[in-house]
Amino acid sequence: MMEALAYDFFRNALYAGLLASLICGVIGSLVVVNRIVFLAGGVAHASYGGVGLAFFLGLPVLPVTAGFSTLAALSMAWVTLTSRERADTVIGVLWAAGMALGIILLDLTPGYNSDLMSYLFGSILAVPDSDLWLMAGLSAAVLVLVALFSRGLLVMSFDVEFARSRGVPVRFLHFLLMGLTALCVVMVIRVVGLILVMALLTIPPFMAERRTRSLPGMMLLAGCLSAVFCVAGLYLSYALDLTCGATIIAVACVGFVISLAVPQRRQPIAPAQPLGQPGAQSGAPKEGSASA
Amino acid sequence: MLNTPAIEISDLWFAYDGVRVLDQVSLHLDAGDFLAVLGPNGGGKSTLLRLMLGLVKPGGGEIRVLGLPPGQTGGRIGFLPQFTQVSANFPITVLGAVLLGLVRPGITWFRTRAERRREREAALMALSRVGLAEHAGRRLSDLSGGQRQRVFIARAIVSGPELLLLDEPTASVDGRSRQELMALLAELNRDMTIVMVSHDMSTVDGCVKSIACVNRTLHHHADSRLTPLIFAQATGADSIAGCPVELLAHGAVPHRVVLDHDNPDCCGGRHARAAKADAAEGSGAGTDKGGRAS
Repeated sequence: MMEALAYDFFRNALYAGLLASLICGVIGSLVVVNRIVFLAGGVAHASYGGVGLAFFLGLPVLPVTAGFSTLAALSMAWVTLTSRERADTVIGVLWAAGMALGIILLDLTPGYNSDLMSYLFGSILAVPDSDLWLMAGLSAAVLVLVALFSRGLLVMSFDVEFARSRGVPVRFLHFLLMGLTALCVVMVIRVVGLILVMALLTIPPFMAERRTRSLPGMMLLAGCLSAVFCVAGLYLSYALDLTCGATIIAVACVGFVISLAVPQRRQPIAPAQPLGQPGAQSGAPKEGSASA
Repeated sequence: MLNTPAIEISDLWFAYDGVRVLDQVSLHLDAGDFLAVLGPNGGGKSTLLRLMLGLVKPGGGEIRVLGLPPGQTGGRIGFLPQFTQVSANFPITVLGAVLLGLVRPGITWFRTRAERRREREAALMALSRVGLAEHAGRRLSDLSGGQRQRVFIARAIVSGPELLLLDEPTASVDGRSRQELMALLAELNRDMTIVMVSHDMSTVDGCVKSIACVNRTLHHHADSRLTPLIFAQATGADSIAGCPVELLAHGAVPHRVVLDHDNPDCCGGRHARAAKADAAEGSGAGTDKGGRAS
């Protein structure tokens, strides 16, 4: 792997993978505990419409896709809040409509559309410096927003009804979370492609959830797991000459199966655990569940 | 605190899609009361609670909680939602869950070390009141259902509220935990007014001071004894829905506070005989009830 690091494109791939891991750890954890994985899937696929739009208009792909996905995410958030009964159906429609729009727009775009597959399955080995900077900026923005609203997001994720009773602006936070998910999806599309976005958003948080004692701890552990999967997947794809995105996901899936096989740490029911006991593997601060 | 009524409702109504689920509701609740809100499912109990919390706006009428319009009382109201659908795996400690009771709306830019310590102390104090201080560092998912419910009560009282609103506090906990919960509520009632929504009439216990039957309209009974009328109202029956003992007795032995029951017309006099036999035995079946004030 060391000799591979001599190449710019491989270093960029590594940076892109680590940035995506960081953001997937944070947003993926929120997506999993809020049970909006299906919504995130809808956003991921609808964002393909943004890719098509960017090609059709001849504009840079990442910013246009970011804008389009955010709009799609906010409209899905609106649907879930207003027509709760059939929200999942409407999201299914938006999911399909976005993808269809993307493909039709690409058809209408003159020229050879070689990039189509790269957005479906990721093109981590072709991340230019400019995209890397954009990803870093998006990550910073997402992290700042999550930190600012951390307590509200935590209490909403834990117990919506209680959050409402304390005057926490649950509607606003729901829109915020969907917007952040859209930004996260756009970043991860670069790395593993939108088909496989769901795996990075769900597998590491799922593995982390049962092994940590606070939401920030879960985000941290999920981010670390993601980073391990990305680095290992990149290395394997380089060594075995396989497709990067798919290899990263394959590694994550192996990790998922192993995590299911390893029995989770169970505390004895009695005697009670003293307060001063160190945290779980994540090393999360004990009262850190509410820390910003 | 004693001068302002805890809850003052006059001529309130509320409609879902044009159908009035609550109509002509009036209620005056003094501070220090312990009100059980009974009624059939869909009778408007939870809606009434949501109106008190300010989560929904009334169609018309007046409602004041602690002398203020609902929703403006902040931490002066403690709330226990219906047995929450908290995911079994949610990564949070007992202490972390209780700390959420101190969350205020708006952005918290920064909390000083002293503020964090104060919040932590308040949370530990609330946990010791519900008898779970030694579990503070455990994962919430490692606790039993009854213990978890007490954690949520600690979360409701951590802000030092004057009024505690409980939505079905004893649903989905076993009988023993239910008795412990009711004893805990009786003890909390010394410091705060309690309004408890329940469809479970066995929670109407010695510690409840008054009863409101909600079935579109509200009937307030300043006495906590269960009468056939209350049963009729609470079960939504048009006429008397049967004999109270039949509804209260779990197994063969009636073990709740009920009216004198020597009416030979009721249930063929069976219960009159059973009640007498029970009285002769002493209150053996009743004394194991932790929640009884008597």
